[in-house]
Amino acid sequence: MIILGRRVRMEQRLSTPRSLLFLVPVFSVFFALVVGGVFLAATGHSPIGTYLDLIDNAYTSFYGITDTLGLATPLICTGLAAAFAFRMNLYSIGQEGQMYLGMIGGAWAGIAIADSFPQLIAVPMVLIVGALAGAAWIALPALLRARLGTSEIVSTLLLNYVALNLLNYLIFGSTGFFRDPTTSFPQGRLVADSARLSPISFFTDKVTNTYPTFFIAVVLAVVLFWLMRVSNYGYETAVYADSPNTARYAGMNSAWLQSSVLLISGALAGVGGAMYVVGPAGKVDPGLLQVGLGYAGIVVAALARYNFIAVIVAAVLFAGLRTGGNALQISNDPVPIAIAVVLQGAVLLFALGGELFRRNKITITRVRAASA
Amino acid sequence: MNSNIWLLTFADAISIATTLILASLGAILTERSGVINLGVEGMLLMGAVTGFLVADSSGSLWLALFVAVLVGVVLSSVHAALTVGLRANQIVSGLAMVIFATGLSQFIGKPIEGDPLPVLIRPIDFGALSDIPFFGPVVFGHDVFTYLTWVLVAAASFYMHRTRPGLLLRATGDAPATVDAQGGSVARIRWAHTVVGGALMTFAGAWYMFARSAAWNQSATTNGIGWIALALVVFASWRPLRAIGGAVLFGFSLQVPFTLQAEQIRVLPPTIVAMFPYLITLAVLVVLSTPRARRLLGAPKMLGQPFVRDER
Repeated sequence: MIILGRRVRMEQRLSTPRSLLFLVPVFSVFFALVVGGVFLAATGHSPIGTYLDLIDNAYTSFYGITDTLGLATPLICTGLAAAFAFRMNLYSIGQEGQMYLGMIGGAWAGIAIADSFPQLIAVPMVLIVGALAGAAWIALPALLRARLGTSEIVSTLLLNYVALNLLNYLIFGSTGFFRDPTTSFPQGRLVADSARLSPISFFTDKVTNTYPTFFIAVVLAVVLFWLMRVSNYGYETAVYADSPNTARYAGMNSAWLQSSVLLISGALAGVGGAMYVVGPAGKVDPGLLQVGLGYAGIVVAALARYNFIAVIVAAVLFAGLRTGGNALQISNDPVPIAIAVVLQGAVLLFALGGELFRRNKITITRVRAASA
Repeated sequence: MNSNIWLLTFADAISIATTLILASLGAILTERSGVINLGVEGMLLMGAVTGFLVADSSGSLWLALFVAVLVGVVLSSVHAALTVGLRANQIVSGLAMVIFATGLSQFIGKPIEGDPLPVLIRPIDFGALSDIPFFGPVVFGHDVFTYLTWVLVAAASFYMHRTRPGLLLRATGDAPATVDAQGGSVARIRWAHTVVGGALMTFAGAWYMFARSAAWNQSATTNGIGWIALALVVFASWRPLRAIGGAVLFGFSLQVPFTLQAEQIRVLPPTIVAMFPYLITLAVLVVLSTPRARRLLGAPKMLGQPFVRDER
């Protein structure tokens, strides 16, 4: 390929230099900030000032950091869910809906059965029922993918819209089990006290937005990372991801692998929704959920290159964008929160472009005018 | 309840179908070349919001539509650069496009949220023709772009199945190595069709804004129509003419909740009825996935696969 009188050659790398594993994400974030800065400047906001405010609000103050960790908690879960499916080349984008269902399932357990159990049993119960609900929401796309080969992309996405309407039905459209019976105001019924955790105060007397569920999410990521390294199941999925034909030759059951990976992915997103129930919400709360953490999970997973440990870092980074963005919205020079979403999309686009440099060695040589 | 309501719903369905047809036609052209662009939903939103912004400041519908098309060209060029040029994963690139475009449309659309539309696309006045029972509202009740869309579909079908570049397009999606061996440029064909497809998608968004919406309201403006258009591509088995029937069907399912609400018919709660378009689309996808149906469909064989000459 010849561009501007220079020959550009691409050679596939056999191994990736360690520095690039670090540099590509860093540069992706940098260039995304530049793109976001262009739009900020175009709408009359100071890019540098906005970013400094954003960082200041999200990562420097005590409340900023605890808010960020609190928001990162469900985001780690949806990030893990996306990473788990995407690394098998299964592009489920239904984390949003599965998270809603996790909240609904968790709230059901918290209201219906948690009452008669101590906290030590009630909280895990809520999380597990949430996981099951999330898995149930992806069961149909998983079955279709494994049995008929139906693309999971559109089927999981369509169910997000169904889940959103289901959530609205339970709180705004009906007066059933999930509605608070003590008021006519449309809000969720609170779960039993034993099903809730109190926020972490980090050795102060302040009330934060970080819940112990953050550590559950981190442990989940570490355990998943370790399990997929050492277990037979982890090996089989890795082989299948690389080459489905090899996996089939070796006698691996592709229908089982595909459907189980999707179900686990759904369960992970469901846990994220249930963590709202044991944590900040304590009920079905549509307002808390609709900030697009399901879709952000996909960005987190891609930026982490589907590495479960890196998901934690990426999730905290992205949650910071959101909390910082929230603070910007209410400052005296309000910047729409959507700038956080713009940055997410841009980071992902640049990270994708960066893959080229990770996979290929690029050499540029000057060519003589005659041959160009 | 009288039959007239359902006739009007059907006429509305044909009107909504215009967006679905344009968007899925864009996706068909893109996918036939072997590139998946999942960014449809984001492209619709960007087309809608930039159209609104330009019309708001200039007062010109034509300029608004033109800029919307330009935005589609730019956005789909990014997708083409990543997937055709840099051989990035098409699925992830498309999703990134949805997220980026959704965020950007909300960001730049913040100041105009809820404002009345500056210009409108109105149906053509056919005079007495519109009063003919049934045919009046169904055939003679639309705006100029709806009729142009029908013509465009016929033209695209002719292009794809009856011309040499169309043959090359289909070959690029099915057997890029063959096209390359014959001296065709796989990259150029894929770029061109991704960009034209993207332009159709943002145009569809701008049309939807001016012809079918009451105001710009963030992501609720398109409310998943882009994803339905993607399902429609499968329904149409990658053939433009077949997209029309599917678009009217999906358009009908999108319109029924509004009709029920307007007529205050409460068979089911509105939130439940609002699930139907997505459930119907899902059901159609399932039926189309049966082995029997798949044999008849024929997706482009190398859809989603980057073409690398050295690895041939």
